[in-house]
Amino acid sequence: MKTNLFFLNVLLLLFFMSACSNDDDAISQEFAVAFENPSASFSPTDINKEIVIVFAPKATSDGVLTISYTLDNAIYGEAGDFTTLPSGETGKITLPFKAGDNNVTIKVNKLKNPIEGDTKLIRFAIDNVSLTDGTISGNINLELSFAETAALGAVLAPNVGGVNYTNSVFIDLSSQKTTDVRRDAWEIAFHSGTENNVFLNSSLRVTAAELSEFTDLNQVTSATAFSSALELQVYNPFTQQTETKIINTIKDYKEGVKQSYSMYGTYADHLDGSETAISTISTTAEDNKVYLVYMGSEIPTEPGSRSTNHSGDDRGWYKIRVFMDGDNYKLQYAKLEATTFKEATITKDTSLNVVAFSLTNSNAVAVEPAKENWDLNFAGVFGAENGPTYTDYVIHNTLGGTGLYQVTTYKVEDDVTTEFNVPSYEAFKLTDVDETALNYQARNIIGSGWRNPFAGPVAVVNNDRYFVIKDAAGNYYKLRFNAVVNADNERGNPKLEYALLQ
Amino acid sequence: MILNKKYLTIYFSFFLSIYVYSQKTTNRKAKDSVNVEKLDEVIVTGQYNPQSIKKSVFEVSIITRQQIDKQAGNNLADVLNQTLNITVVPSASTGKSSVQLFGLDGQYFKVLVDNIPLINDEGFGNNTDLTQINLDDIEQIEIVEGSMGVQYGSNAVSGVINIITKKGSKYKWETSAYVQEETVGKSYALFNEGRHIQSLRVGHNVSDKLYFNGIYTRNDFKGFLDDRKGQFHELNDGLRGYLWLPKIQNTAKAVLNYSGSKNFRTFYKFEYFNEAINRYSPLVSVNYDASTDTTNPVSNDAIFTSTRVFHHLNFIGKLKEYVNYDLSLSYQRQKRDVETFKYRIKPREKFDDEKFEFESRDVLYSRGNFSNFLKRKHVNFQLGYEINKINGFASQEAGIFDGENIERELSNYDVFASSEITINPNLSIRPGTRLIVSSLFKPQVAVSVISKYTFKNDLEFRLLLGSSPRLPNYTELYTYLVDANHDVRGNENLTPEQGASVFAHLKKTFVFSGSESTTLLKSKLSLNYLNVNDRIELSIVNTVPLQFKYINIDSYKTVGAFFTNTMRHKNLNASFGIGYYGQSKVLDSQTLANDDYLFGFQLNGSLSYTFKKREVIASAFFKHNGQQQQFVQQQNANNETVLARGEQEAYSMLDASLRKNFMNNNIQLTVGARNLFDVTLVNTTAVEGGAHSGPPSSRLLGYGRSYFLKLVYNLKFN
Repeated sequence: MKTNLFFLNVLLLLFFMSACSNDDDAISQEFAVAFENPSASFSPTDINKEIVIVFAPKATSDGVLTISYTLDNAIYGEAGDFTTLPSGETGKITLPFKAGDNNVTIKVNKLKNPIEGDTKLIRFAIDNVSLTDGTISGNINLELSFAETAALGAVLAPNVGGVNYTNSVFIDLSSQKTTDVRRDAWEIAFHSGTENNVFLNSSLRVTAAELSEFTDLNQVTSATAFSSALELQVYNPFTQQTETKIINTIKDYKEGVKQSYSMYGTYADHLDGSETAISTISTTAEDNKVYLVYMGSEIPTEPGSRSTNHSGDDRGWYKIRVFMDGDNYKLQYAKLEATTFKEATITKDTSLNVVAFSLTNSNAVAVEPAKENWDLNFAGVFGAENGPTYTDYVIHNTLGGTGLYQVTTYKVEDDVTTEFNVPSYEAFKLTDVDETALNYQARNIIGSGWRNPFAGPVAVVNNDRYFVIKDAAGNYYKLRFNAVVNADNERGNPKLEYALLQ
Repeated sequence: MILNKKYLTIYFSFFLSIYVYSQKTTNRKAKDSVNVEKLDEVIVTGQYNPQSIKKSVFEVSIITRQQIDKQAGNNLADVLNQTLNITVVPSASTGKSSVQLFGLDGQYFKVLVDNIPLINDEGFGNNTDLTQINLDDIEQIEIVEGSMGVQYGSNAVSGVINIITKKGSKYKWETSAYVQEETVGKSYALFNEGRHIQSLRVGHNVSDKLYFNGIYTRNDFKGFLDDRKGQFHELNDGLRGYLWLPKIQNTAKAVLNYSGSKNFRTFYKFEYFNEAINRYSPLVSVNYDASTDTTNPVSNDAIFTSTRVFHHLNFIGKLKEYVNYDLSLSYQRQKRDVETFKYRIKPREKFDDEKFEFESRDVLYSRGNFSNFLKRKHVNFQLGYEINKINGFASQEAGIFDGENIERELSNYDVFASSEITINPNLSIRPGTRLIVSSLFKPQVAVSVISKYTFKNDLEFRLLLGSSPRLPNYTELYTYLVDANHDVRGNENLTPEQGASVFAHLKKTFVFSGSESTTLLKSKLSLNYLNVNDRIELSIVNTVPLQFKYINIDSYKTVGAFFTNTMRHKNLNASFGIGYYGQSKVLDSQTLANDDYLFGFQLNGSLSYTFKKREVIASAFFKHNGQQQQFVQQQNANNETVLARGEQEAYSMLDASLRKNFMNNNIQLTVGARNLFDVTLVNTTAVEGGAHSGPPSSRLLGYGRSYFLKLVYNLKFN
């Protein structure tokens, strides 16, 4: 019995020991501070500028940042060129912050415009952060120019609008500016250049099919049949082959084209901008036929059940016809079932690539900034000739003269990684630019390939690439994407960074 | 067999041998039955009354308690791996293990405990997670292959496993405690790596008639990393988390058994089971901040918690000396809750916590068998009913249900009847039928004809014909995914799939009497054919616009031949089996398909030797799974889709152990190794890719060679 008891004790000991487990201790995280962007500049009309110092992560306790600055031709004070808030009279600026803050700002008031050609600069540097875990890393300096100059770079978070992809965002790299426009602001757009072309709003998945037997809108309703057939390309994912479906009624077409497993084919603008669904407008009026326009889908407001929710209810069907009236476009349009139609005249505006038009609101709408004032467009959603609807789609301003190419740093094939003999993003410099690689034709070089929606918790940035851009003014930039989701893993929150090559 | 008075004692002794063993009070006959059991196993599955495997018209194979102990099996997944025809399919991503029998998955297969189906998250009896079934109170596991619709209703298409629990002891007090320590692959540490099991069991004969048994077991599996880097890994290189998810299980069971007069016995069985699985996503949002040149990695993690409560009240007895009855009442509930959250890896911080019910089932169940009311010598008749009311719940996260939770009630009202006719002492035949009436589907009928013929030279021949439907699952019924890019729908008008099988078994026991000892050899040759019609498959139902829907369209056939042998010579026990099988799929749901039979084979064997003086048993279990083929669609060089024969490589599993008893069996020590061939991933080209992903190139089957040590302390006294 004694040995029994011994064993019992040993067993009990083992029992409790093996039943125990210890928890892992949390580690403390560094608190990093940096200027949001490496540079900023005053435009002639700006009277002040906010310099943002960002925290990663947000501050866990109260503290103080100390910023110093040096001057190049600029003078501090009411009688000089600028003042700051908080005051920087002593050459140093102290910025208190509270627990929970994400950033702090310095307001710089510009008191005088520089004489044209003069260089006037303030060079800010972060000297100290009072928290024990605090580190200064990344953009530790910032250069503020009093004259308008091409930005040295920036970190941008285009306001795409989260999981609903509410906005299409235009980005101007040299001015660090973004402009957002609701995707449903327009359906069709008229080219301001010499070619008389009409574009569709691919970010709303608008399509247009020519009904070659009709030039009178009033003859077309959803009951209409026609003998010159439309063809839908239907992708069969089982055979992975595309099958052709012959369509002879508007009813069948309406069912088929809405769903983008069925390829839109010729009824959508091409991804690369090379072809439009609506033929070039002929100067012979009768050659311009009636088009059946699918208006795309509403932008939902609810988060939806999956990681994105961008295509809601149908926006319905319109019929349109466009012809030329001298140098102006004439647009006839009506809802599909209407028996009368409206007419509008669209005048080309040479400051813009295109003049956008809203069929639902019956007016021209301002969408794109002036053609030299944007380089990239975060279209958000994109539906085009090859079927699937893309999210996070990015095109560049080929019509406005922006050139772009991709640098691929590695590829993975059959689990084998091959590094290419190209500079890293960090190492890439002006002399590395391959002028001949800049593409001014295909607008979708960036496209959707910069991110992978089937990897990561919801989606990840493909870190095998960056891009080289030459804007219309001749500035060279390198650009890469840093995020496709925000810190809470929500889609539709892209982030990118770029830097001037000089 | 007819239970007149003469046979009644035998019948009761059989069942006593199972349920009561030989209590102090049992009569001499009962003690004899223990010997009978040793010579020939007693089975319950599919029988009117428990009886010897030799007399059974059914063909039942058994995994004994001894084998479970030799393998140090803690749950069902630990021991089924060595059985022919059965493949245990672990899923590293969910932490579950399901069973494949004759190439059909767990939906076609029913797991029973003491003759009644056992609940789980996704089904009642079927779709069982084998790792959730603790074996510490198990007497034996009975496996019947083939469609068993008459006996066990729907979803018993490929077969049933019936787990028979212990309900008695010959000691007044019996206490047993054990610890089991295992490595997981190469990794082991007292707290944070490996597998750690602790268990305590107390059995007590309260009186001559009343027996109580209680068990508590904790199974702490710390996960298998392989080349993964755990939960704190910050990069999105696919290496975060575990290859095999860690989990902790707690099982508590109790049984109260009352054996009254010869004609009455009742037991109440209770089980509480709880499991927590941590799912660490391998996918990390790095959240690079270019301004500060820092990262803030975030991942989406989840903790799944399953809780099962099981009540089973059973009465067996005899009514007015005429009718044998066996009544079961049961309430079971299993609930799988999930806590999803995002996890900031650097500060170890959870956020966006959401807790909700993931899926659940609760069941009110009753089954009753009545037999022996015809007092004819050569005809026995059994009538029975099986009623259940299943409330099922699947949250929107558990499937694609258009953002809606699915809450459905399914009631089944089955009646069944069978008759065992003994035409002559050598030939018995047992036809049976069951009517399955349910609240969701059209009434189904299952039929079976089982016959047994004993040739003069003791060669036993059994022919089993049976059918069983499989009911559609929630994904098939209620999926709804319609948006800009998809149109995929479930179908509430689906009809159950129809399974039917034919099994033929030839069995003979050879006895070689030597001068010193007798050698016993049991050989069995089995042939089978199993067919499932109206298989449910996601199919294209319209091309413009493209629409997918689940419809009853395909069929599946399997044929096979199996030859198994067990041998006993002196202190040596050995077994050897070989199976050759072919599977054919008629896929009308696909434009490209080939219904050729694809063949494969399996081998298994075991050896066990008892060193009597040293009280040591050495055993080894081996199974070889031959190359498996499957038709898969692949792209050829011209980018056309063609049908190719995909292959999964062959692999073998070898387990071995040594068990030694100390101090009058009060201490038992088992040391051993599982998966000695160190199998983890098996290369395969026999899997098709999903809609947005390529086909996997390997299949996870184990976590490599691992070692275990089990120390049991028994305290028994009267």
